[in-house]
Amino acid sequence: MSWAAHDLEPYAIQKHMKLKVAFVPLLIGSYSPDMMTKWFVYGIHLGPWDLKASDPAQFHRGWPGFGFTHSFLFGVAIGLILWKVFGWKLWGLSFIIGQAAHAITDTGDTVGTMLLFPWTFHFHLGAWAYAGQTGRQTDAAAYFSGLGSMWDLVFLLYGLYSWRVLTGEYFDTVIYCADAFWPWLNRRVPRGALIVIYRAAFFYGASRWIAWTIWAHVIHHYPYDLSWGGPHWVHAAHP
Amino acid sequence: MRLRLKFDRPSGRDLTVFGGYCVASAIYIAIGVAAFDFMLSFWVAAAYLLVTAWLIPTLARRLR
Repeated sequence: MSWAAHDLEPYAIQKHMKLKVAFVPLLIGSYSPDMMTKWFVYGIHLGPWDLKASDPAQFHRGWPGFGFTHSFLFGVAIGLILWKVFGWKLWGLSFIIGQAAHAITDTGDTVGTMLLFPWTFHFHLGAWAYAGQTGRQTDAAAYFSGLGSMWDLVFLLYGLYSWRVLTGEYFDTVIYCADAFWPWLNRRVPRGALIVIYRAAFFYGASRWIAWTIWAHVIHHYPYDLSWGGPHWVHAAHP
Repeated sequence: MRLRLKFDRPSGRDLTVFGGYCVASAIYIAIGVAAFDFMLSFWVAAAYLLVTAWLIPTLARRLR
């Protein structure tokens, strides 16, 4: 899994596709595969109950489980509903692109994703360890010690290099014009707030990347292991 | 053939805006490192950013 790439990738895609995509569904698509499942992967306490998947990797990425959310079929199905049922063609196409970016990025870890579901083969590069089954903190420590965090860093640096995508001028001329959502929201919220909302995911991804890196390596001294499939000090799940 | 990396230079105004976001980010990171629950939600980050990067500067401009 990735921790910040899904926040940052939509800005890179936006830079290259400009008016051909709408940013909000692109971002929702990028978040969508994990939206309903992450809490159950890590587990939560709800009064006297501890709710957690018995096999988090299987639940998150497998079948039976919710692994289909990381397939192209899921993105296309939701995209077609947005397009054909609600008549939102641009939202549908943008959602498909965002969701596909998430599903492809997650092939980087040791579990990978069932990109071509209902074919249940897990496409995986195995570049960084999937450690969701170890709980949120160990997973964070492992992720920010391996190549996964370096992949996030690529998007963070690319975003900073493409800084014009984050400017008010770009928002006015591209983001606002591409999607009727922004003029609709602008009837209720001033322009200054809209730009902040547009920048929020980049802010979140970048700040979180730095914060978790400090947490893992300055506060807790987890060792870096940038070898393929690492860090090897954590038990990595496999399909 | 020489490959040149072209970098678009930001203006002073762009850097001022960026600096404001950096300050907001530094505070967010400090809170997040101290209490990591704070940085688990996108909605918390968005609300935090709306307050620090829009609401406070807007109120400050009106009070001036």
